[in-house]
Amino acid sequence: MAVRREKAERLADEELMPLVGRKDPEAFEVLYDRHGGAAFSLAYRIVGDRTAAEEVTQEAFISVWRSGARFDATRGSVRSWLLSVARNRAIDFLRSRAGKAPKLDFDDESALEQRPAAERTEEEALRRETATEVRGAIGNLPGEQAKVIELAYFGGFSHSEIAQILSLPMGTVKGRMRLGLEKIRGELAEGLA
Amino acid sequence: MSGSDHKQWGEDLAAYALGALEPREAAELERHLEGCDRCRNELRWFEPAVRLLPESVERQEPPPRLRAALMTAVRAEAQPESRHERSGLFPARLREGFAGRGMRIATGLAVVAFAIAAVAGYEIGKGGSGGGGGGSTLVSSEHGITARMVQEGDGGTLHLADVHQLPPGKVLEAWVRREGTVEAVPALMVPDRKGQAETTIADMNGVDTVMVTEEPQGGSEEPTSPAIVTMSVSQ
Repeated sequence: MAVRREKAERLADEELMPLVGRKDPEAFEVLYDRHGGAAFSLAYRIVGDRTAAEEVTQEAFISVWRSGARFDATRGSVRSWLLSVARNRAIDFLRSRAGKAPKLDFDDESALEQRPAAERTEEEALRRETATEVRGAIGNLPGEQAKVIELAYFGGFSHSEIAQILSLPMGTVKGRMRLGLEKIRGELAEGLA
Repeated sequence: MSGSDHKQWGEDLAAYALGALEPREAAELERHLEGCDRCRNELRWFEPAVRLLPESVERQEPPPRLRAALMTAVRAEAQPESRHERSGLFPARLREGFAGRGMRIATGLAVVAFAIAAVAGYEIGKGGSGGGGGGSTLVSSEHGITARMVQEGDGGTLHLADVHQLPPGKVLEAWVRREGTVEAVPALMVPDRKGQAETTIADMNGVDTVMVTEEPQGGSEEPTSPAIVTMSVSQ
């Protein structure tokens, strides 16, 4: 039996997932309302096109609807899981369109400030703060470290592909990834503790 | 395990966390991780940074039609589970058909020239408007079926009543004409014992005609039989 929308809205993501696994549309709708925007934004960031991002997001959420029971709470939050599903779909999309270059910039400094209305809740405010911190941490990276992380995470390239793209030894690419992630992790350490 | 071994694995951990190892390398590292607390802890330390990367992207508002399309597909899949599965009215193959069709919304709907309808003898626009522009449109077809289109926001619901029982292996499929092309409505219909059926149309923008045909289980890419319902929609 499906839960009412009002009740679903009061549940935590982790409580919604078993309901989604039992094919409850109200629970799914609440999940989409909470995280659909982030998934669409990530997909757009990767594929660089709104129509394609829409397709990717739809495929990702349908996949979540069908495989909700596979969520493993011990491996991270529902939001992280949803976003990783969206990312994987977006990378698959990019790969299926060989030759499509990912967008390669971290320079949208004012973008979050311009975001309209819907993010007035405390949780959204926290996410916005986190986003600013992460962007700040990435912005503080030396360009060569930011670039390999960008190519790997948002471009879906392997370290050997990145080495080829940037004409660098593979060890250098892996080293830059490590240094970059260490710095991001270090800057965010307090917030992530 | 020597220090130099750990240096080598350590170089791989960040690439692994970013999903940037080749599959063979990732498999090797995973085997190593099974027996190495030190590397597992190091990976665990990296992972939150990677998990937060998506939060750094510029926020984009998804189009409302994405939500509508998703919920149409989801509800179509949920309904057989909750309402019809026990009575066996929705065979598994048809449920799969719902799912597949839902996916096609964003990827480009099957579009055919509506001239097909004229060739096949469809009668369009027999009904009158019951609710004014953007409201409900009522149509009665010559087959004795009452169709009621209720528009809400960008979408709408097509309700059918007095539908005859379908032959085995058949379903009802709705179609909309938008800017001269015909699109399949994802959720297929099977009338209940009272002869009622309904389907949701996620996006009614630009739709001037809605019709329903009898199709094989799983639906068709384009109409394959004469329409049993046609209705004009006032925009």
